[in-house]
Amino acid sequence: MELFTKPSAIETFYEAVMFEMLSYEFMQRALIASVVIGLVCSIIGVFVILKNLTFIGAGTSHAAFGGVTLGYLIGFSPLYLAILFSLVTVWVVGYLSRKGYLKLDASVGIFYSLTMALAVLFIGLMKAYNAEIYGYLFGSILSVTNMDMKIILILGAIVLLIVYLFFKEFHFITFDEEMATASGIPTGWLSFLLLNMIALTIVISLKSVGAILVFALIVTPAAAAYQLTYSMIRMFLYSALIGVGSSVAGVVLSYWLDLPSGATTVLFVSAVFFLTVIFSPKRRPVFSLR
Amino acid sequence: MKNDVIIRFSHATIAYQQRTALEDISLEIRQGEFVGIIGPNGSGKTTLLKSILGLICPDTGSVQIFDCACHKLRCHHKAKIGYIPQKGQIDPNFPVTVMETVMMGRYSSIGLLRRPAKRDRELVLNALKEVEMDGYRDTPLGHLSGGQQQRVMIARALAQQPEVLLMDEPTTGIDTPTQQSMIHLISDLHRNLALTVLLVTHDVNMISPHVDRLALLKARLFAVGPPAEVLSEKTLSEIYGKQVIVTTQEGGTYVIIGDYHHV
Repeated sequence: MELFTKPSAIETFYEAVMFEMLSYEFMQRALIASVVIGLVCSIIGVFVILKNLTFIGAGTSHAAFGGVTLGYLIGFSPLYLAILFSLVTVWVVGYLSRKGYLKLDASVGIFYSLTMALAVLFIGLMKAYNAEIYGYLFGSILSVTNMDMKIILILGAIVLLIVYLFFKEFHFITFDEEMATASGIPTGWLSFLLLNMIALTIVISLKSVGAILVFALIVTPAAAAYQLTYSMIRMFLYSALIGVGSSVAGVVLSYWLDLPSGATTVLFVSAVFFLTVIFSPKRRPVFSLR
Repeated sequence: MKNDVIIRFSHATIAYQQRTALEDISLEIRQGEFVGIIGPNGSGKTTLLKSILGLICPDTGSVQIFDCACHKLRCHHKAKIGYIPQKGQIDPNFPVTVMETVMMGRYSSIGLLRRPAKRDRELVLNALKEVEMDGYRDTPLGHLSGGQQQRVMIARALAQQPEVLLMDEPTTGIDTPTQQSMIHLISDLHRNLALTVLLVTHDVNMISPHVDRLALLKARLFAVGPPAEVLSEKTLSEIYGKQVIVTTQEGGTYVIIGDYHHV
């Protein structure tokens, strides 16, 4: 009889989420931010995965962290400097690769360590220990302020709008850039625009997911979606569902179980990825796939 | 219409990856012609096609396409050139369906910030019908055989409603009966749609019965003209550096080249 009187785990969870969690303003902000970030990261992630730009994602997030540390050192907006650092990184590596001076991966590698070296230097130059900086490294979605929310919403909307407007061109460039150029698509500035969107995506996710973990939120949902379909349109859809779902699940679980939000989100999305690898219909010819 | 020059190379020397790939090329392609470009590997065949696409421009001399210099080739010009790259440059695992692939051929004409309309979908379906692949519109590209994938790539080029079709080794990596049906398809498209076709291949015997002219390349243009003129034992041995036998059977000219590895 005791079983009936004791609330089940689901009931406890429901109460914690519906009543307690949503009653906090910071949790409302965290949930909205996680939906936007999950969506933007997973959409951009499809291009990153299909165009083999995974390393540029990692490099740019570390560059953005370099910008954050400089901001704290000189007392200027860490976010603006993060935007500047990550954009300059994609501009330079994009330029070097387009001109054929150096392969994209190699120049990203240089910037990856250069900006991290700068970050270590800037932290070393600071007089006092600053815990907020480590928030940018490992992510803390609960510390998202109203100002951060505005920036996440505005930049997120810009990225999604650009992807929507140039979707068919990005689609073609991702499939085969040379063929797209040959058929008259202005691939030069469009590829550059895509790199800039990757940089902006990283910047908006920096505070909530962290420079080290943001990369997973970009790559993993798209990589999971890649296991599930042969249609690019569906891949976007699945990636967005996995990205948003994991992002929200990460926040809810981290609140419920009192775990770090960034790490919980990444562990959750990684678990989804491994499930898609195991149950991928691509490796089961019985299923008909589209 | 057959006499209008649509592509003109005038003493063009073109470098590709810091190496002179083509030297002093002078060649005129007339509208509606079917020209086969032959030569051993590394002879600059692909570079020739890429210069017509405006992807690589000459260092000296000039390449004119639709009376437009190579480096000034604008998007609307490019849309009139359908390009079928060498197979193998297509990632078979890329998540894209046949319909999505062929629709890409319309993107340039649709223009920026616009979505495909009903007419674009009709053109895509017509292009798929032309290559007899309309039953596969929702099939993933990676699920098709090499020959079928090549047909889809031709459909993608046709969806551009091109005036010129450039093909880079369209029959490489597919079995012989499929190669034959492919070459007949290309020949039919050339005739029925009045297309100017430039086809790069190393398989002389397969295309010589179908083409108006053959261009024999090995960095320089060694010979150009009707197959019967170009396919001489003397010229071919000079190019391939091996013994070459040219024989005539049932009205066609056939070439047997010695064990030149890269032919």
